[in-house]
This record gives sequence, structure tokens and C-alpha cells, in this order.
Amino acid sequence: MSNEPTHNPPPPAPRRSAHQPVRDSVTTIGADGSRPFLYPADARGRFTGARRWAAYLLIAVYLLLPWIPVGGYPAVFLDVAARRFHFFGFTLAAQDAWLLFFGVSGLGFALFFLTALFGRLWCGWACPQTVFLDHVYRRIERWIEGDAPARRALHAGPMTGARFFRSAVKHALYIVASLAITHLFLAYFVSLPELWNYMREAPGEHWASFLFVFIAAGVLYFNFAWFREQLCIVICPYGRLQSALTDDHTMVIGYDTKRGEPRGKVGTPDAGACIDCNRCVQVCPTGIDIRHGLQLECIGCAACIDACDEIMVKVKRPKGLIRYDSLAGLSGRVTRWLRPRTLVYGVLLLVGAAVATFAFSTVKPAGFLVYRTGGAAYYVGPDEVRDQFMVRLVNKRTVPATLTVGLDGVPAGLRQTGFNAPVTLPPLGETVSPLVLVVDRKAYRGPFKFTVRVQDEAGSFTLSREVEFMGPDARLLKEEEEEEHEKDHRH
Amino acid sequence: MTPPPEDPNIKLREHSYDGIQEYDQRLPNWWLYTLYGAIAFWIVYWFIAIQAGSVQPDGQRVQAEMTRIAAVKMASSIDVSNDAKFWEMSKNPLFVDAGRQTFNSLCVACHLPSLRGKSETPTAVGPDLTDTAWLHGGTPKEIYHTVSGGVLAKGMPAWEPVVGQKKTAELVAYILSHHHEGETITVQASN
Amino acid sequence: MTPTTGQKTTIEFNDGIVRQFMLASLIWGIVGMLVGVLIATQLNYWQANFGQAWLSFGRLRPLHTNAVIFAFVGNMMFAGIYYSTQRLVKARLASDFLSKLHFWGWQLIILGAAITLPLGLTRGKEYAELIWPINIAVAFIWVVFAVNFFWTLARRNEKSLYVAIWFYIATIITVAMLYIVNHLSIPTSLLHSYPVFGGVQDGLVQWWYGHNAVAFFLTTPILGIMYYFLPKAAERPVYSYRLSVIHFWSLVFLYIWAGPHHLLNTALPNWLQLLGMTFSLMLWAPSWGGMLNGLLTLRGAWGKLRTDPVIKFFAAGVTFYGMATFEGPLLSIKSVNALAHYTDWIIAHVHAGALGWNGFMAAGMFYWLVPRLWNKPLYSTALANLHFWVGLVGILLYVSAMWASGITQGLMLNATTEGGTILKYPNFLETLNAIRPLMLLRVVGGTLYLTGFIIMGYNIWRSTRGAAAVNGTMEVYVEVPAPGSRLGFRGVVGSAPVVYTTIILFAACIWMFSHGVLMFLGFCAAAVTTVLAIAHFESRGKAWADWYDKLLVSALPFTILTFLAVAVGGLIQIIPMITIDRTLQTEDRVARVYTPLELAGRDIYVSEGCYNCHSQMIRTLVPDVMRYGDYSRLGESIWDHPFQWGSKRTGPDLSRVGGKYNHAWHYDHLQNPRNISTGSNMPSYTWLMEKDTDYVSLSSKIRVQRMLGVPFPAWSPAMIDSLAKEQAKAIAKELRAEGRYVDPDKEVVALIAYLQSLGKTWEPTGAPAAKP
Repeated sequence: MSNEPTHNPPPPAPRRSAHQPVRDSVTTIGADGSRPFLYPADARGRFTGARRWAAYLLIAVYLLLPWIPVGGYPAVFLDVAARRFHFFGFTLAAQDAWLLFFGVSGLGFALFFLTALFGRLWCGWACPQTVFLDHVYRRIERWIEGDAPARRALHAGPMTGARFFRSAVKHALYIVASLAITHLFLAYFVSLPELWNYMREAPGEHWASFLFVFIAAGVLYFNFAWFREQLCIVICPYGRLQSALTDDHTMVIGYDTKRGEPRGKVGTPDAGACIDCNRCVQVCPTGIDIRHGLQLECIGCAACIDACDEIMVKVKRPKGLIRYDSLAGLSGRVTRWLRPRTLVYGVLLLVGAAVATFAFSTVKPAGFLVYRTGGAAYYVGPDEVRDQFMVRLVNKRTVPATLTVGLDGVPAGLRQTGFNAPVTLPPLGETVSPLVLVVDRKAYRGPFKFTVRVQDEAGSFTLSREVEFMGPDARLLKEEEEEEHEKDHRH
Repeated sequence: MTPPPEDPNIKLREHSYDGIQEYDQRLPNWWLYTLYGAIAFWIVYWFIAIQAGSVQPDGQRVQAEMTRIAAVKMASSIDVSNDAKFWEMSKNPLFVDAGRQTFNSLCVACHLPSLRGKSETPTAVGPDLTDTAWLHGGTPKEIYHTVSGGVLAKGMPAWEPVVGQKKTAELVAYILSHHHEGETITVQASN
Repeated sequence: MTPTTGQKTTIEFNDGIVRQFMLASLIWGIVGMLVGVLIATQLNYWQANFGQAWLSFGRLRPLHTNAVIFAFVGNMMFAGIYYSTQRLVKARLASDFLSKLHFWGWQLIILGAAITLPLGLTRGKEYAELIWPINIAVAFIWVVFAVNFFWTLARRNEKSLYVAIWFYIATIITVAMLYIVNHLSIPTSLLHSYPVFGGVQDGLVQWWYGHNAVAFFLTTPILGIMYYFLPKAAERPVYSYRLSVIHFWSLVFLYIWAGPHHLLNTALPNWLQLLGMTFSLMLWAPSWGGMLNGLLTLRGAWGKLRTDPVIKFFAAGVTFYGMATFEGPLLSIKSVNALAHYTDWIIAHVHAGALGWNGFMAAGMFYWLVPRLWNKPLYSTALANLHFWVGLVGILLYVSAMWASGITQGLMLNATTEGGTILKYPNFLETLNAIRPLMLLRVVGGTLYLTGFIIMGYNIWRSTRGAAAVNGTMEVYVEVPAPGSRLGFRGVVGSAPVVYTTIILFAACIWMFSHGVLMFLGFCAAAVTTVLAIAHFESRGKAWADWYDKLLVSALPFTILTFLAVAVGGLIQIIPMITIDRTLQTEDRVARVYTPLELAGRDIYVSEGCYNCHSQMIRTLVPDVMRYGDYSRLGESIWDHPFQWGSKRTGPDLSRVGGKYNHAWHYDHLQNPRNISTGSNMPSYTWLMEKDTDYVSLSSKIRVQRMLGVPFPAWSPAMIDSLAKEQAKAIAKELRAEGRYVDPDKEVVALIAYLQSLGKTWEPTGAPAAKP
């Protein structure tokens, strides 16, 4: 806390809102537990502009992924019903679902790496909560009800017909947006023609999907219309973990206390650069005063940077009183970009990417599994010892596949029935069939291990699994035979 | 010692425990409402499920579900105790054809594509299904029973759980298409 | 400040005991996690038990859980409680002798556990596996702890009890209650006993205990520790006192009720399942109250997150507490539970709590304590930061792998085809095969987390090496309480909050358990009293607050009220279940008693820890019934002491495995599961083929079971012996006929007898199913 001011702030200026942020409390939790609603003012500047373009790009990507066909399927299509996952023309079967782990942990590691360098960059720039809130819902609000002072005045005033009308239009648009986002989300899991069918048919026919859309849209509406920053402050664990992942060389949004303090109006002798105009507080979407230092609520949206820079230009002082900088930088030391952590995270990220690439490259276009049929491990007949297996063949490609099942390491004289001819599977099809192996009693020398091998016609890949041929102890069979033999002699 | 709060609305309790002091701030009301909501949910749920008895007990529910599944299976097959129906099916080429396909993927490994098993090749695993001698009963009903439940001790798997009832019935129809209604059946004692 | 009277003295705290417990926690923590990594490895490579019975999964998994809960968190808790209590009440621990006895007694118990569990000596109930002589030792040492703690309270110089102390009090009395009830058993020998409860009664008591072991061993003491160490480290006031009050009382009252959520969709009577689910949902708010109080306390010191590892660990620990307590109510919803129960999702949930909450809070506390207990700065802050990052990466890998695994396997197990009439993956192995890579990634995650702990061990070793241990001192005024500052009996019983709460609870019970007019009246009475209480509080809030301030200086009344709050839930759930004649709770089926050989086999099943991977409970869910057969009825496990419903299906359910395969199948399978089940990760139980069945103890075992009400005939010991041996011979003969040569007196024969009886021992009864 060394860089934070220790004196009390000057008495409030008249322009301040009723909820001047303090260090001991959360602005959006009132003293009586109510929720003071925030009216963040519009910020203008390079970061606001850049964030807007980033958000539009992200929304476009989210929107388009289930639309663009790659290899006959949407670019991203998680077909839960059929347990097939399509990614940019690459299809994973249920058996490969574990690879999704790389998606989850890869995202996690990327977040670690980014956070070590730039703090909560994700929260302010890329999290769907911020993207949709700032660039869809707040745009609607701004458009219908005007800028922050207008909105505050409108909401503080009486319920007139005009206010009611505006409010109704705003909420109607919120609901439309929520429904659109929900359908967009659903499109990742249900193919588009099917989704279109769902939407045209009566809700009762797909009540589970309907209920999902209804509830999900309701939750989104509640979240974006009212709940807003409470999600980031109270609910979301990632923001906190990200904060814990920063260090004193991480670039976060910070206020240059040394330059800014003591605050004073322009012309005050011995005053620092901060003119205490409170603009940084007005634009903050989570209701904090960045001059108190790094805080729990800060999502790193950079609105206060733009707001402060604008004022600094007006009062003809250098920009950057509030800026992206590290704790080291703000206290006059040099920010180290290359430090053990960033290096280790970078290396880990690369290793992870390499392992993931390897794992994905080893995913074969087909899969198979051998298991014994229920019943017994093996069957002993008068002349033979028999093992029975079921083989599941899975074609993971979107074209038909012809597969051959072969055996390696089996003794001469073993008879194989089932899979004597190649099997052709339809696109993404699978089959389960028996594989029966028989060894003549005379040739039987006890259990042995062998390999089941699956190849495609072109021989472009081979899958194999080691399996044991089970049977009785060969000596036992011999004993039995001798007994039989003796019996025969006696007769 | 903690300095007094900046905001006069925030109360700092005087007492200090080993230097630890406590504010007395509120949590958001919406947090409290989730607790009230959960309590209300319990009251309503308890009333509906336990006191009004409007929720079917789990055991009955799952039994009803299983009965429904059984009904679906029946609707897509036939009365498996009705021999005449099976003979009728064995003359329906569509039905027999469907049965042949399943047979050729699952059964040929032991009974051979000809269905003649050991009669064709003595080393084959399964017995002949075209002759009139049967090990586990030769009426359509009995054949169905054998195919669906299997003869685990000999290695004949239970197929109904794998392919479903309809395909099992089709398999029986395909086997019966190699037989005639009214032929003399002999049942050998199992070896 | 409260005006103080009396003379000023200087006290020296007993910090030696804190140092001892802290180091013990560190060492046992590393051991417990190492065992965890070993058994996680065994799930991938079964050979990692090196063919040794005492290293096999079923025996080491209880060692892992017991070591982490009782040895790691237990010792950590004692260190934290002893350090903070002395300072919060301004008094040295009452007795140095009791402190020493507590420490060495607890370490001996851990040593006893570490020896007996790998030997297969177990009671067969999760987190309650230790055998009865050790149970008595645990209860005794716990009483020593309680006496030492309350004696210290009695000698306190700070009259008012801080919120941390409330949580410690709740911990001590509740754990005592839970532990004693769930460990009631009757010995059959020095090393073996049967629990007094059986079947569903045992199940209910077990999860009342099991769930609240999590609540009152892994949560409440750590919350108390959080309330002391977190504001200390942040140098900030606690965010909200009123929140402490609300969240303490609602947490201790509600937590107890949630136990049945471990038995959702099972044969447990519906009303208990419903209570388990709804009270779990209610728990979300109080749990998050605690999380938010910690988090918002840290808020004022958020900038320190960048530099202070202690604050990093606390912030992350509190965050993981929030994640785990959000996930808990979610998993308690019956339909979510239907997918997640018995899968790795639960493992993910547990480890988010154990690694994230307990492990990180412990680390934060240790890093804070070391410089203060040895009066020397921490050897390396950089290493502490490294520990944090490595640990966090470990948790991330572990938890996301287990989430993916649980959901993948759950979906595959429930998948159907042919219009929902048959299972898509009828063979369990296919679902196991799909999650094998994830099980390997969990080993990586766990190893990273363990590495972090070893780094901490090194750091602390370097910090304390050559440093002089110092004991804290404090100047205190010996306070003489002003007359009337404490609450007497009447002041407690006659107070508005207690009276209202009692009436509301009483009326709510009438509403819940009656019908017709009485039900209506009960509901109205509860509702009206609630409204009155709220109105009273709104108008006379100051009086309530003053009363509570007085309660805080009255340790005994406070303790009694806490005990009543935690006892209510258990009483309402358990008393109806254990007082009812169990033969009325059968659901139209009642089991016959086991044959002597089956009983011997069952004890082998328990001793090998088969229940760690196999359930014996087919839930009232379609995919369960399709896969394993008709759903399990209460009467089928009625005579099972202990019950073996299980909590995890690493392998398939075994309720109806009897008669499904022949003896030879089981013999081959036990000898090497991969003989039968390609790709299985079950250990090979070759030692069952070598060890002799214990026939001798059967007569005393059956005698004890008869005492517990199991209707065994009045066999003589000789009769029992010959019955068992005859059945063993018959099974061995059949095995021989199937081509397996086996000595009838080997354990494998008894186990096969038991396995073949599963699902086969019940007979229909005419008695109607009881509906309480």
C-alpha cells in the first residue's frame, strides 16, 4: 500500500455522485444492502476505441463460428446428441473427448501467461460479460436513454409516459439481444437447420431446448439489465485468481501517485498533476476510484486512462497520469518483462501446445476397442479352446472408411472367424461385431498374448492393441486327456 | 489501530481482538434473497412432494420409465410368445432381409453365412441352424429366448441387450426362413 | 476500548505446541499427498502396487483420505487454533501437559492409522475406516483437546469471544458428536468390529458423519483460522460483523442437514433425499457469506496481492472455497447428481476444496507463522511465490482433468440408442477407456501440487534452520467482569432470539411431519412466529444486538446454543430412521442372512477396500437399471454391517453380480482382471489365492451380528465352521470342474461365495413398505 495516499480525500465537490468510492466498502453495495445502480459516463480515446473494435471482432467470431462450414460441418459444432465434436473440419469422437482437456487447460495457461504480463486483460477486453455488456447492452441503453447524466436524471425523475415508453423499448431490446445470444449459444450444440426447425415448430415438441432457451435468455437478461458488475465483484472466481497471478512487474492500470499527489485545482501551489476532477471515477463501470490503487473490482477496462488523458490534454499536462504500468514502474523502477515467471509460463505454454499438437496428430481417423464377450474368459470344447471378443470399430471421418482387422503373434493353426473380410463403415459410423478365436486342443500350449491390428485400405494408419488369449493351464488339459484315455482303455 | 472509516455510514466496531477490528457492513440484499428463495423452494417442494404426494416416488417413476421402454420395444417388435406371428414374419422378405443383415454382421462368426455351422465345417463354433435338431428348443418362441438371452456357459452371448428387441426378432425371422412351419423338431440333450 | 480493571501482567504464550503441530502438518501433508499421487498412478498403471497387498489401491485410498483429513488438516487446524486462541482470549493454553498429550497422542494415532490401514484392518466406512481401538484413542485425544481449549477459555482475559472462537467451539463439539455416533461398534476381536447400525441406517449415519466431517473438520475450523490470520495478514478490519453472525449460525445449523445429498437417487427414503437436496441449496448463501467476508476484508489490501505470498494464498484459498461451495449445491440437485455421482466430477469437487481451500489456507498460514514463531524472515519469498504458481497450475490441471473425465464418463454411461431402449455403451470398460488419458493428466496435476508443498517444506526448513524459536508474549490486564455483563441460564433461555427460534423450529417440525389440520396449524404457527420475530427484530434490533454482545462473553451458554443448533438437523433425520423397526423399511424385499462363508467373503471384500471403487446400489435411474438390473431396495441391504453402497464407480456396480458369471470367471478375474476385461485398471488380487480364509473368527463375528439383531440361526461354533468349509469345498469343486485348481481354504473361495450371493439373497415379503 506504499504507493497509495494516506490522507483523507478533500471534501466532495458538488459534481460528485452520492456514492463516492471509499476504501472500506464496495460502491455498489449500499449501507442498507441495496444496490446503487451505476451510470458510468462515456469515455473517449484510444483504448475505448480499440476495445470497441476488439469487441466487434469477437462478437463477429462468436457469431460466425457455427455458420462457416468447414469440411461439411460448421467450423465449431459440438454435437452432444451424437457425441461428435467438430472443430474446423476436424472431428473428435466421444472416445477422443479427453482432448477437450487441452482446450480447457490451454485456455487456462494462456490466461496465466497473459495475466502475468498484463493483469486482468481478459476481463476488460475479451470476457463475454464485458464484451456483451459494454458493446451491446450499454450501447442500447445509451441509444435509447441518452448519456450518463441524462440516464441518471431520467431514473431519478417521476415515471412519466415518455420515461415508461423509453424504458419499455430498452427492455424489449434487451430481451431480443438475450434471445439472440442464447440462440447463438445453442447453435454451437444443435446444427443450424435443426435449430431453425426448433424455432418454427411448437415449443412443446422440443420442450427441453425451449426451456433451456427460455431460462438461459432470462438469466442473460437479468445479468445484463441489472446484475452487471455484481457478477464480476461477487460471483466470478477468475477475476480473483487473475489478481493473485499478478506481481510487481505486471502491467496493470495504475495511478501515478508520485506525480498526482497532492491533488489540487489548476493553479494551486505545490499541487500534483491530479486536478481531482473525478472524471476517472465517473467513467468507471465498477464504481471504484483507481487512485486508491489496485482493487478487487477493477476489470482493467482502461476507461479511466482515456478519461484522465482527455483531461490532461485539456489542462495541458502530459498524458499518462493513469496508465498501464507495473507497480515497479509506478514507483520509479524499471519494469522487467522477462522474468522467471513469464519465461516459465511461456515455456509451459509452448510445451502444452506441443503436447496438444502431438496428441491431436496421434488421433487416428478411426478408433477401435476389443473386449471379451460376457460369460466366461474362455471355452473349452472337446477339441478346442476358444476365446470370444467383441470389436467396436469407429469411423471418425466424414467419408466412408474400409477397415481390415488382422492378428499378429498368434500361433499357427489358430482359426479366426469374424472380420475375415474388410468392413466398410459409413461417415462417422460405428459397428460392433464378434471376433472368435479357436485353437485346436492338440496345438494348445497355454495362454498367450497377441495383437489385434486395424488398418485402412490404403494402409495410411495402423491401430493396435495387445490382447491375451486365455485358456486353461495346458497341463490340466493334458491330465484330463490322459484320464479320458485311461477310461477308454478300460472300456 | 484502524483509522476511522472515510464514509460516516460505515460502522467500525470499537472492540479490538488482538488488533483485529470489525466493520459492520451489509452484504447485498440480493444475496440474502437467494437464502430466502432457497428456503421458500424447500417449503414448496416439501409440500408438493411429501405432503401433497404429487411427485411420484423414485422407485415407481423408474419402474414406469422401464415399462414405457419395454412398451417401445414391444411396439417395434412382436408378441414374442406368438409362434404363428413369427412364421408370418419369416415369410416377409423385408423383415427377413433386415434379419440377414444383422446375422451377417454378428452371427456368421460362429454359425457361418450358410447358417449351417458345424454341419458345414466341423470346426465351426456354432451348431447348424438349418436342420431340425435343436439344443435349446426349436419353436420360434424358444429360439427367440435363446438368441435374446444367450447361452453364456457355451459362449453364445445375449444379443437383446446389444441390438435391441426388434433386431432380435428379425434375426429369429431370418433363421425361421430356413425352416417350415410344422416340421418335426427334435431336441437333443445338451452336451 | 472496554474499560479494564485489575492488575497488569505479562503472559508468555505456549507457541512450542504451535510449532510442533505446524511441522507435523507439513510432514504428514507431504506424506498424504505422496500416497495420493501413488494411488492416482495405480489407476493408470495397476502394476504400481508392485504386487503387494499392502500397497494396493483399496487399502491405500483410505490411507490417503485419512492422512490428508486427519493428519494434514488436523495438525494444521490444531496449530492455527492454538496460536490464535491464546491471542484472541489473551491467555496461555491452560495446560502444558494436556497440550503435549494432545500432540503426541494425535501423532501416535496417525502412526497407528498408517500401520493398520495398509494391513487391511478397516471398518469399511469412508473416512471412518480406523479400527475400534484407534477410535477410542481418537475420541480420548479429542476430549483432551476440548478440555485444554475450554479450560483456556475459562481462564481468558479477553471476555468477549471473537468470531474465530465461535467456529472453533462449533468444530470441537460437533466433531465429537459426529465421531462418536458414527464409530459406535461392537468388537469381534482386538482388531475387528461391526458398526451397530446396518443397511440404510448405517448409510444415513455414515453420510451424516461423512458430509459433516467435511463441514466441521475441513471447513469451520479453517473459517475460524481465516477470520484470525486473514485480517492479520491484510492488516485490515474484517468486512462485516453482522455477516459473521448470520453466516456462522446459518452455516452450523444448515450444514448438518445436507448429509443425505450423498445418497441421492438411492434407496434412501425420499423425504431424506429431499431434505438433503433442499438444505444443500440453502447452504449456498451462508457459505458464500464466509467467502465474501474474507474476500471483502482482503479488498482493502488488494494491492498486496502482487507482492505478498501470504495474501496470494489466502485470496486463492477463499476463491476456491467459493467455487467448491457453489459446485456443492449444484451437485446436490438430483438431476445433476444423477450424472455426476459415482464419477470423477465428485473427485474434482473434493480436490477443489482440499487442494484449493485447505491446502492454500494452510500454506498461507504457515508462511505467515514461520517468521513470527522463529523471529526470522522467511528464507525466500520467491520460493513461496513459486510454490503458489506451481500449486495453482497443479490444481488447474487436476480439477479440469477430473471435470472432463466425470462428465465424459457420465454421459457415456447414460447414453442410449435404438430409441432409448438399449445402452449405447453396454460394456463399462468402454467408458473407462475413454477417460484413461485424463486419469494420467490428474497424476501430473497432483505431482505439481505436491512439488509445491515440497518447495514449501524446503523453504520452511531453511527459514527455521539455526533460528531460535521464540514464544509470543502479551501484556494483559486481568479483567474482573462487571456484574450483569454475562448471561445466566434465564438470560439465555428467556431471550427473544432463542424463544422465537425454538418456536419456529418446533412449529416447522409439526408442519413437516404431520397431515391435515395439524400440518396447516404448524405451518401457520411457523409463518406467524417468523413474521413476529422479524417485526420484533426490526423494532428492537438494538436489544437483540446487546443480548448477543452479552452472549459473546458467556462461553458456556454460547457453546450449549451452538450444540443445540448443530444437533437439531441430525436428530430430525436420524432418530426416525434408527428408532423405526428396520424390518418395516424393506420395500417389499428382505435379505436372508449370509452363509458363514459368504460373511467371511464379505469381510475380505471390506478389508480389501473394494467399496472404494465398486458401489452396491442401483439407483432409481433408467441408465442404472438398464445397466445393472432392477433398482436396489432397502430390504436387500438390511443386514449389512457395515453398509457397502459405495460412493464411486471406478468399476461397475456389483449389487446384482451374483450368478451373472460362473465361478471360474471370478477366479480368472481376481487373479488378473485383464484376463477377462481388456483394459481394466483393477489390481490383480493374487494374494487372495495364497492367504487362508479366517474361519476361526466366524463364530464370534456371527455372535456379534446376532447381538446387533441380524437373524442368524443359533449355530454352534462347530456348526459354523463346518458350514463354511462345506460351502468352500463345493465351490472349489465347481472351480475344479471348470479347469481351475484351487485350495478350498483360500480367501478367493470365500470372496467368490460372497460375490455370487450379491443380488441373490433377497426374498419378497408381504409387509408394506414403511412411509414415515
